[in-house]
Amino acid sequence: MKKGRWDLSRRSFMKASGLACGYALLGFRTAKESVASVLDMVGIRQQSVYSADANPKIYKLRKSQENPMVKKLYAKDGFLKDGPCGHHSHELLHTHYKDKSMFIKALKKKGVELAM
Amino acid sequence: MSEAIKKKPELGSIKVDPSGTVQKTEGVNYTIYSPRVNDLGNLYFVEVDSNVCEGCGECETHCPTGAIQETKDGTRSIVDPAACMNCGQCLTHCPYGAVTERVSYVSEVFEKLKDPDTVVVTMTAPAVRYALGECFGTPVGTYTGGKMQAALRRLGFDYIWDNEWTADVTIMEEGTELLERVKHGGKGDKPLPQFTSCCPGWIKFCESFYPDLIPHLSTCKSPVGMLGPLAKTYGAEQTGVDPKKIYTVSIMPCIAKKYEGLRPEMHASGQRDIDATINTRELAYMIKKAGINYMALPDEEPDPVLGMATGAATIFGTSGGVMEAALRLAYEVISGKTLADPSIIAVRTANGINKVDVDVPGFGPVHIAVVSGLDNAAKVCEEVRAGTSNLHFIEVMTCPGGCVNGGGQPVDPSIMEASVFKKMVAKVNKRFNMRKIA
Repeated sequence: MKKGRWDLSRRSFMKASGLACGYALLGFRTAKESVASVLDMVGIRQQSVYSADANPKIYKLRKSQENPMVKKLYAKDGFLKDGPCGHHSHELLHTHYKDKSMFIKALKKKGVELAM
Repeated sequence: MSEAIKKKPELGSIKVDPSGTVQKTEGVNYTIYSPRVNDLGNLYFVEVDSNVCEGCGECETHCPTGAIQETKDGTRSIVDPAACMNCGQCLTHCPYGAVTERVSYVSEVFEKLKDPDTVVVTMTAPAVRYALGECFGTPVGTYTGGKMQAALRRLGFDYIWDNEWTADVTIMEEGTELLERVKHGGKGDKPLPQFTSCCPGWIKFCESFYPDLIPHLSTCKSPVGMLGPLAKTYGAEQTGVDPKKIYTVSIMPCIAKKYEGLRPEMHASGQRDIDATINTRELAYMIKKAGINYMALPDEEPDPVLGMATGAATIFGTSGGVMEAALRLAYEVISGKTLADPSIIAVRTANGINKVDVDVPGFGPVHIAVVSGLDNAAKVCEEVRAGTSNLHFIEVMTCPGGCVNGGGQPVDPSIMEASVFKKMVAKVNKRFNMRKIA
C-alpha cells in the first residue's frame, strides 16, 4: 500500500505528539521571543541608518543629484558626459539578465520539491 | 595622489591560510577559497556542516525558495546551488553555527595587500558601517563609518572608494530609467512597473522563477556592479594607475554579492570588474588579524572622487531606502520643484509589502511598493504577471529589513544561545532519525 502524506507510523506518531506537547508547554514563548529579538536587532540597525542620513555631521547632503562628485562624473567635460543612461553609461553601468528557469525546471523534473 | 603605490603597512608577519582551510570568523566557519568566473557553474556559497547540524529545522523556516531540506539522517542540506539564492538567512539564523560559507577571499586579499605592485581598492557597501562595530563590542547598530574607512586605510588599501558614491550614481541612472519608462507609458520593451536591481538574491530569484518579468527589471547594475568598472576606467584615469594593476575588493553585508561578483557579464571594464568579495564578518576578521585597535581609530573620510556620498546613498542599506532615494530625485525632476524635506517616511519598511502613493506635483500619485523578503516578492510578481498591478516602481530586498540584516552581517549572539529546551529537542530528534530502522 502506498503511504499517504498523513499516514504516520507508530514511532513517528509518538515522536510528533511528544514534540507537540513539549513545544506547547515550553517552546512557544522562547520561539516567539527569539523572533522578536531578531526583528528588534534589524529595527535598531535600520533606525541607525536613518539617523545617519538625517545627521548633517555625517552626510552634509541628502539628495544624490546634489553630490559634487556625481556632478563631476556627469559634467559636460566629465567621464560620462552623455549624462545618466547615455551611451557610455549603458556600456559600463547597465546590464542584461539571463533566464535561469531551466535549472529550476530540471530540478523539479528530478523530483525536487521547492517552495516556489 | 601621484604616488600611486604607497608604502604598505606591516602585513608581512601575517600568516595567510592556504586554500581549503576552514577558518572560524565571527562565529561562522569559512572555507578559504577564491573561485574564478568559470567556477560559478555548480558553486555552493553556503552549505550545512552535517557534523554540526542538529536537525532543528530553523534554517528551513527562513529559506524563501525551500532550497534547504531535510536529509535521510535528519540533518539539513541545500539540494542544489540553482535553488539557493545565496541570501544566507539560514546561516544567520542557525542556533548551532552549522551553516558555513564555502567562498572566502580573505587570504587572497591579504596577499594582494602585501604585493607592492597591486593597487588594491575598497568598494564598501552602506550597511557594513552599521554593523561592523558589533564585532568590536559596540551596541547593535552603532554607526562606525569613519573608523571603518580608517581601518581600511590601516590595512593598506591604496584607495578607499565606496559604494555609497555609486549608490548616488545608481539613483541618477535608475531614476532616469524610471522617468523614461513613465514617459513612454511603459510600452514596448520597457514595461512598467520597474523593479529595482540592487539586490543579487532578488535578481537570481527573478531570473530563476519569474524570467518573464526580466524586462521589468531595471537594467542598472547594482552600486558595486557600477563601482567595479568605474574603478578600472574612471578611477584609473583619475589616479593615473594602470587599470591592469587595480584589484577591486567588494565589501558587503551579503553572501549573494559573492555570486554577483562572479557573474560572467561583470567585465565591462575589459577585465573582471570585481576581483574579490568579502563580507562584514570577514572584514572584522582581517582588522583583528592585522592587530588594528578598531575602537581607538579616528574618524576618516573615503577618497572623495569615487567615495563621496549623500544620505540618499547610505539608506540603500535598509528596506525602502532605494525607493526613498529614487523619489528624492524623481520628485524634483518631475515637478521641477525642490523637495523641502527629503525624509519620505511612508516608504520606510521593516518587513512585508508596503504600498504607498506618493503625490508628485505636475504628475499625480506615483504608485510604489517596497517589498522585503522573497516570499513577499513572489506575491507582487504574481500581481505584475497577472497584469493587475497599477504600480510604477517596486523595490525588492531579499533579506527582511534590507541589507542591514544581510547574510554577511555579524550574527545576533542571542541566536547562538538557543534555549536548553530547543537544544534538547534537536538532540533527541537527531538521535531518533539516526536510529530509524529501514
